Amino acid sequence: MIEFKEFSFRYREGAEPVVKDISLTIPDGCFVGITGAAGSGKSTLTYAINGIIPHCYPGDFYGAVSVEGCDTVETSLTDLSRMVGSVCQDIDSQMVSTVVEDEILYGLENFAVPWDEIPARVDEALASMGIEDLRDRTIDSLSGGQKQKVAVASVIALHPKVLVLDEPTAELDPASSVAVFDLLARYAREHGTTVVVVEQKIALLSDYADLLVIVDDGRIRFADTPDAVLAHSDELLALGVNCPRATTLMNALGKQGLYDGPTVRNVAQAAAALQEVLA
Amino acid sequence: MIEFKNVSASYDGELAVLRDVSFTVNDGDFVAFVGTNGAGKSTTMRLANGLLKPTAGEVLVDGVPTTALKTSELARKIGFLFQNPDRQICCNTVREELLFGFKALGEEGPDAEARVDAMIERFGFDGDAEPYLLNRGTRQLLALASIIVLAPPTIILDEPTTGLDFRECVKVMDIVCELNEGGTTVIMVCHDMEVVGDFAHRVIAMTAGQVVADGATFDVLRDGAVLKAAHILPPQVTEVSMILGREPGCVPAVAAANTVPQMVEAVAQAKQAELQQVAEAAALADDVLAVLAAEQAATAAAIVEASADYEAPAAAMGASEEEGR
Amino acid sequence: MAKFLEYVPGDSILHRMNPSVKLICAVLFAVACFVTSNLVFLAVLLAAALVLAVSCGLGRETAGLCKAVFAFSLILAVVILLTTPYGVPLVPLPWGFIGTGSLLAALTVMVRLMAAAIPLFLVFYVTKMNDITNSAVKQLHVPYKYAFTFTSTVHFIPVFMNDMAGIMEAQTARGVAFDGSIVQKVRLMIPLCVPLLISSVRKTNSAAIAAEVRGFNLRTRESGYKEYPLTGIDYAAVALCVLVLVAAIAVAVLG
Repeated sequence: MIEFKEFSFRYREGAEPVVKDISLTIPDGCFVGITGAAGSGKSTLTYAINGIIPHCYPGDFYGAVSVEGCDTVETSLTDLSRMVGSVCQDIDSQMVSTVVEDEILYGLENFAVPWDEIPARVDEALASMGIEDLRDRTIDSLSGGQKQKVAVASVIALHPKVLVLDEPTAELDPASSVAVFDLLARYAREHGTTVVVVEQKIALLSDYADLLVIVDDGRIRFADTPDAVLAHSDELLALGVNCPRATTLMNALGKQGLYDGPTVRNVAQAAAALQEVLA
Repeated sequence: MIEFKNVSASYDGELAVLRDVSFTVNDGDFVAFVGTNGAGKSTTMRLANGLLKPTAGEVLVDGVPTTALKTSELARKIGFLFQNPDRQICCNTVREELLFGFKALGEEGPDAEARVDAMIERFGFDGDAEPYLLNRGTRQLLALASIIVLAPPTIILDEPTTGLDFRECVKVMDIVCELNEGGTTVIMVCHDMEVVGDFAHRVIAMTAGQVVADGATFDVLRDGAVLKAAHILPPQVTEVSMILGREPGCVPAVAAANTVPQMVEAVAQAKQAELQQVAEAAALADDVLAVLAAEQAATAAAIVEASADYEAPAAAMGASEEEGR
Repeated sequence: MAKFLEYVPGDSILHRMNPSVKLICAVLFAVACFVTSNLVFLAVLLAAALVLAVSCGLGRETAGLCKAVFAFSLILAVVILLTTPYGVPLVPLPWGFIGTGSLLAALTVMVRLMAAAIPLFLVFYVTKMNDITNSAVKQLHVPYKYAFTFTSTVHFIPVFMNDMAGIMEAQTARGVAFDGSIVQKVRLMIPLCVPLLISSVRKTNSAAIAAEVRGFNLRTRESGYKEYPLTGIDYAAVALCVLVLVAAIAVAVLG
């Protein structure tokens, strides 16, 4: 369980807190999507979970954040990273190796995973991300989508309870973005891993997330199921959060009194709903 | 005007990343290049402004091959917005950054200063701000401003909305759209099909270094074979309308809608037509009923009449019977 | 083609050698180059280095490397040419002359630099970064932090070069003409160091954080999973390089 209790944070060089008064409880195994306009403080929330705040970026920390009952301020970054696996935004500088296999080995070696377990862990991590064939490739020769899968694999090899990802698909094309989310969601479901992902593409988030959090100006504006959040498409647009067009369409029809069914998240749902409307 | 004539290209003499690509972008066009990463879109852009020279074929800018043009001449004709604004920004203040292009082209002077001032006002920048301290979206806008301040007749945008939030994206695209309406040719590479559908007039789809489709935006984005070949999904409303269009008896306006308002109107009309049909049916039913009622009334009257005829003799008979008793 | 100083996968003898031994051999070889001033001996060493590179299928990478080292050594050679008036005078200068001795000295410097640099650089083309770090930590007892810092620095060189190329491309698109003289090119490139520096600081910072959240601080000498056993080839290579060094010293002392 991850718990934010009245959490506020101001970076040392910042004039104002970037996140204010955040209270949120994330149950185990939950897939959480966090989104919001640029500068809304969404990345800061992930830093608070994996301990980068306050251990790497100092500042004023108010309230409390805990992961599995451990206070993130009092727990060392290293101990936190035993529980929380992080995939950072800048994928290229995250890589410490020249070859895929070495990248997966890196964390396993550091956390002193027993050597007889290591080969199985590497195999499993590669298989989970569907990249067994990339094992001996140099990282430099991979595409953006492949690199992202390697980054995720190198973290899930450590069997973290929580997985935190900061804009994992920012540089990917739509097809690779969906592929990464598919693999991630499947792995999390099978292993009961809690996933917290910050993402600009709300359409992608709402298809996978159990809990969708919308951050605006450092505060949580919505924290609910994707359906419940997307019902407010007009408000979201005003906050600088783009809704899936399918949702906007059905909400617009709802306003005209032409549709009164549940909120839709994607094209398939919109098409099915419209078929009923037009039947 | 930019013409690609059977262009092939490769890096370091290795495998060709572009094979036999031909197309023409006319003045004032708004063209979007779509396709997956690695399809050759960015390479095409780099060929268009001469950063890369073709290994075969010709790239002509206003009829002159890029191989015969100096970078500075090309820079005057074509502005190029890179995906990562940080590679472009290199000055200490916003003002200097906007002036940098004029310096590079050796066109400093009062005219340049005036244009920079106008640009600062138009974008609402702080001229003395340090570019590196601005947020990602503002840096992207600054990079865009530092290009359009030179008023190139053509601008190339390599994924202009990547990494921007919705508001920033709208801001960038509004400016681009305004430029296009003012006559600037716009060529962009874009993964966001909603942006492509909203703004581009023409779409060129690429896959594996080749052009697979070139036409009006929604002609291309509604072509199932092209979508499949280029691994792209159409804008969501278009996709919904394509799915609905496959149903027999779908209203044409619904099957052709590409935007939210279009679809809302089409559905409203379809529903209205439906209501009208029901109303007509109801009216027809009323008529029938009225006829039936009239008939019924007539029949009833006839029956009454007949029974009256019947009753009269019966009454007479009754009377006689009574008399007989 | 691989980028500058980046690992090229392969299965040559050099690829299979122990990483530490490769480093030691390269250093011994370089020392040998600097001990001797015998042009013939240096030329033999250079030829040997080139043969070694080509035998691993790294001909193209080495050619690129040679060009870079050649350009650098050329500058040094010119300086030497103008400042060491030895041998039979050929060209008079206001402050001395260029003689046959100056020519010889300049040539020696060029051959020496290239011969010394090639094996050192070659190590990075034939060894995975993690293998260099792990082997150095395990077998040479180098503290992990230093080894990691060193290999990361080398790892970032191609990243920064790529960044610089991207920045120059972006500026070229804005009309900056880099295709002028070298002096002009350098003058134009200096302001571009600002964006490069900023992106470097950002990258190294996020790299440090990324390593830290994956247990960087827990790493010890025993952490490395892979073993780097020494084989006959390794012993032979060290012996050969020691021999080369001894020969170089002998030539220097006797010659």
